[in-house]
Amino acid sequence: MNNLRVSSSGIRGIVPDGLNINIASDFASAFSTYMGEGKRIGVAIDGRKSGFLLSDAVISSLSATGSNVVFYKVLPTPILQYLIKNRKVDAGISITGGHNPSNWNALLLLDEAGFYLNSIESNEVFNIYHSKEFNKVGWQRLGKIEYNNIDLKDYIKKISELVNFDIIRKRKFKIVFDLSNGAVSSVIGEIARHFKIEAIFLNDKTEGYFAHNPEPNPETSSQVSSILKNFSFDGGFVFNSDGSRVSIVDEKGEAFSEEYTLSIVSKAYLLKKKTPIITTVSTSKMIDFVAKEYEVSIFRTKVGQSQVTHTMEARESFLGGEGSGSVCVRDFSNGYDSILSFLLILEYMAEKDLSLSEIRKEIPEFFLLKYKVPVAPGKMYGAINHLKEVFKGEKIDLTDGILVERKTGWFNVRVSTTEFILRVIIEAEDKEKAFKIKDELDEKLWGIL
Amino acid sequence: MKSISDLKISISGIRGIVGKSFTPRLILDFTQAFSTYVGKGKIAVASDSRPTRDMVKHAVFSGLIATGNTPVDLGILPIPSFQVYVKYSRANGGIDITASHNPVEWNALKLVLKGGRFPFSFEAEEIIDIYQQGTFRKENTFPKKVYEEDAFEYHRKRLLSFADLDVIKEKKIKVVVESCNGAASPYVEEFLKKLGCDIIVINNDVNSPFPHSPEPLPENLKQLSDAVKKYGADIGFAQDADADRLAVVDEKGEPIGEEYTLALGILSYLRYKKISPIVVNLSTSRIIEDIGKEFNVKVFRSKIGEINVVEEMLTYDSFIGGEGNGGIIAKDVHLCRDSFTGMVLILELLAKTGKKVSELKSSFNQYFIKKEKIKVSLRQSLLIMEELKEKYKNEKLDFKDGIRIEAGEFWALIRPSNTEPVIRVFIEGKDKEHVESLFKEISDEIKRLRR
Repeated sequence: MNNLRVSSSGIRGIVPDGLNINIASDFASAFSTYMGEGKRIGVAIDGRKSGFLLSDAVISSLSATGSNVVFYKVLPTPILQYLIKNRKVDAGISITGGHNPSNWNALLLLDEAGFYLNSIESNEVFNIYHSKEFNKVGWQRLGKIEYNNIDLKDYIKKISELVNFDIIRKRKFKIVFDLSNGAVSSVIGEIARHFKIEAIFLNDKTEGYFAHNPEPNPETSSQVSSILKNFSFDGGFVFNSDGSRVSIVDEKGEAFSEEYTLSIVSKAYLLKKKTPIITTVSTSKMIDFVAKEYEVSIFRTKVGQSQVTHTMEARESFLGGEGSGSVCVRDFSNGYDSILSFLLILEYMAEKDLSLSEIRKEIPEFFLLKYKVPVAPGKMYGAINHLKEVFKGEKIDLTDGILVERKTGWFNVRVSTTEFILRVIIEAEDKEKAFKIKDELDEKLWGIL
Repeated sequence: MKSISDLKISISGIRGIVGKSFTPRLILDFTQAFSTYVGKGKIAVASDSRPTRDMVKHAVFSGLIATGNTPVDLGILPIPSFQVYVKYSRANGGIDITASHNPVEWNALKLVLKGGRFPFSFEAEEIIDIYQQGTFRKENTFPKKVYEEDAFEYHRKRLLSFADLDVIKEKKIKVVVESCNGAASPYVEEFLKKLGCDIIVINNDVNSPFPHSPEPLPENLKQLSDAVKKYGADIGFAQDADADRLAVVDEKGEPIGEEYTLALGILSYLRYKKISPIVVNLSTSRIIEDIGKEFNVKVFRSKIGEINVVEEMLTYDSFIGGEGNGGIIAKDVHLCRDSFTGMVLILELLAKTGKKVSELKSSFNQYFIKKEKIKVSLRQSLLIMEELKEKYKNEKLDFKDGIRIEAGEFWALIRPSNTEPVIRVFIEGKDKEHVESLFKEISDEIKRLRR
């Protein structure tokens, strides 16, 4: 099986069987050729074992193709996106497996504004990648390589202008953080100090060993939960490897579905500024209630940071995100920023003087069922097409895979852009109804997979 | 014939022009081939001061990590110090990023095996075979690279115990040294101070470009000569970019010629260290034979190429040798060409004889040596060599490397280059006119055959 996955978010795979140093070298060369000579490209890794393996190949290739390199070592992708937006560097490559298991890694490409490349841009990069016609420069024009230890002052200053700095500090939060052995480990200490948060940090070593999959959800929140159940804290947050996603655990140790993150952050942000919300077809309907509460419109795109953030720009939205625990606030940066997300949640708690469990109650509860169906690469789209045929009489939406809307609930089945799986999300009034839909889907997919 | 590729894969490693053939992909593959060959462990990585060093280095790191080896980053380091480091740190091997005396647009990976020596030809062939097969060891351990703070330390210690420190220190020899802004720049001043020299350094900044072509030939020594005259120094030393070769300027500011660098070094060794057979390559001046006679030791001649000299030094249990291009090898320090060893030996000779450099030079028999190259296509070069063997069959011939003709007062070496489409001709004799006329005869013959 081919362990390499390409998508508009970049190139991703198991190292070295799928993603290896030759591919990383060519892909970085293609991106550098696409950007044009003489740009400064920021490079970050997320603390996986294969990080330096790939960053060394990437740095060499960027330099050889005439791009200057600023290597930040371990740094969250959102901070790299912030640095690009604020012109510290011209573009970026974040080497991160995001929420994938530890043997995966990926090269994510960030454009001049810190966005994930859109599909047209990334097509062009792939054309260059496949043609192998890379820019070659002589020794005088070789890109310079700088090693930069990130200075967080500016980032923290800007974030403190967006969230209510004083109110958070005054509340003297006590929080448990689970960094999933990822990039947020490198910055969270300074941020916590700045906001006077009394903190416990779990899994904050970036040695490449993961205590659990770096995918924020109730399953991976168990360590945080067990602390919160036994000790008195205000809550907990679980991050993914590159700091693009975060999920919430309340003060009683109850782990929220990652779908809550977008809704709660949106409640916090919409207090400050009204803006249409951009999300995906695969995100819980909770967000529709938040939109209704604040009287803002909602628009749903295909799944993926590239889709959501570029649509935000096109539709002049400042708030967007996905049910995976990802939120972008575009007046801050053009990427999903989990650090900004958790600070907005703290601000909302302080402002409204509410606990996390009380905030959860403000949002109507549905039963959500999310699962993956492993599938051979060649059969993924066939399965979706089959379902389109099966459900064609119902109310369907084909923005991404197939979405079927019914009175008692809805479901979406789509091809993952990052793994060889179908992602299924079912949301219904109660558990029984959700599982009834699952049984129906299992039956329809049986035999064709 | 089409122009020859700038890429050279040879016994000493892989070399090319950055921006043409010397790409990250090539470096990744070649590194992985070497790393697969040497087995698992620590691999030392260093570079000279070329501006392309960081690009190359990162690709080398990546290739080593991919094959499960731990890169040890030594920073900028002279190649002899690098070889010494590989030996005494017990690394499994090393890759030095240096194109030696080649112009700045070139770079290369020089491979060093366990024990700090270059590969013998059969080993190099095996590495190249792995490279060409393209199948490398695949690992998912991804070892972290480590940094070495003072990689010069092993070399420094060996040099200081090799030198007769008290005698050299006492003389407070005034030295101008230029390292061509190369790999020796961070180390040479501190080192010569330890020898008690009154030292003036020029072109000693690794972040500045090469001030001239980095080959220590007389035509590149103008700045050094001027400085020696200006400061009234006793001697001027020039190191090439990777600090294996040494050129010397006398107290009058005159370059003495690289052949005499070797002669002074060997003379000093035999007189003050110990008696040993000498090994030099086939193109080295016969001054060395004169020295051999003086000390009643044998002189062996190896094929061209540093590793060939080293190999014969091992065979004949020799402690001193080198190449007429200014590359002195003393086994007591390490079996490699080493400009630092050369400086120690020559300073010791100055200190102990109390003589001036020009006096020492004029104490040798004076020869005239001519080194030229004649353009010949690769296809023709081997045929021409066969014709020449036939033509000179009545002379005393040696076919170890090309054709060496030994004819009384003269010797000549004719050999096809393996880096350029040329045949190289070396002739040495006592009389300049004779040398010129012999050269004309040989070159006319080559040109005739070339048609």
